[in-house]
Amino acid sequence: MTETVIDLRDHLLASPLLAITVTLAAYLAGMRIFERLGRPGWCPAVLVAALLVATSLALLGISYDEYRQGAAWLMLLLGPATVALGIPLYQQRHHIQALWKPILLSLPPAAMLASLYSVALAWILGARPDVMASLAPKSVTAPIAIGITEQLGGSVALMMGGLLITGVMTTLTVGPLAAWLGIKDPRIIGFVLGVNGHAIGTVRAFELGSTAGAFASLGMSLTGILTALLLPLAWQLLGL
Amino acid sequence: MPVLRGFLWLLGFLLLGESVVVLGQIPVSGGVAGMLLMTAWLLQRGCLNPDIAAASQPLIQMLAMLIMPGVVGVFFIVDDFAGQWLAVGVALIAGTLLSVLTTFWLMCRFMPRNGDQDD
Repeated sequence: MTETVIDLRDHLLASPLLAITVTLAAYLAGMRIFERLGRPGWCPAVLVAALLVATSLALLGISYDEYRQGAAWLMLLLGPATVALGIPLYQQRHHIQALWKPILLSLPPAAMLASLYSVALAWILGARPDVMASLAPKSVTAPIAIGITEQLGGSVALMMGGLLITGVMTTLTVGPLAAWLGIKDPRIIGFVLGVNGHAIGTVRAFELGSTAGAFASLGMSLTGILTALLLPLAWQLLGL
Repeated sequence: MPVLRGFLWLLGFLLLGESVVVLGQIPVSGGVAGMLLMTAWLLQRGCLNPDIAAASQPLIQMLAMLIMPGVVGVFFIVDDFAGQWLAVGVALIAGTLLSVLTTFWLMCRFMPRNGDQDD
């Protein structure tokens, strides 16, 4: 009996269908649980869904490597999805045209420092090069960050964990810090959320209002592009 | 078939981006190069092809699901990075706090003050 079950499992694992089904089911269930919990800011929906996948894998006796081989078919869609991010960027062009000067002056240092602070802190604490490479794109939206981490020789899994913590930290700190600094301009708050907190920060910004959301998605896209262009060069110059 | 036509455009720009990156030996992923080429092309044309909009909207909405296999990996790397977690935690938490403060400071410094807060 158990032998037939194991045979069936091996047969199903031979194609990517099982991994794709598990991912899709966990995603939809995770979104549902997230809504039921009242959309908590400290726990992104994707983390709930990922936890469900990990639990399913443990129950089904599937290793992460087996799962990843199948799920790679799903991640193949990240390529065209990254290209698709150009469309919202194009739709934001009037904000860029109206405010190109403050954006040009503040975005490049902000995006570079978001990366530099964490790499420098990790280096001071004696982190390995692959750990620093995984932390460097921590404020970049995931589809772009995956490409950057692979180029720098980091771990995609560690980078994803860093991305989640960074997004959560950003959404939790921006509100209190804005109040402390006396900042009420939704353009600034949105931009800070997008530049530092990528997609998680942008979702939070849309909850604050449409202006904050628009500036967050603008900040997120520009940070992603700028980091993707500059970080691999900076890495080569630093000799890492 | 607008979604399929739009998807073909996205794939075309992705392959174009891959080609530019490989031929130019540029250290950028093909997806980012394709996105930049797509944005430049749209800016130059000045209008958005409805097919491309129809294909990109669902793809962007399902981004969170597409990155999930990577996120699942977080639960399987605890041993791979033993001894590194203090550095990782400090870098992420203190680093994010510093960068949020810096971005606030930069934006307040350079953003023109005006009253069109339409929310």
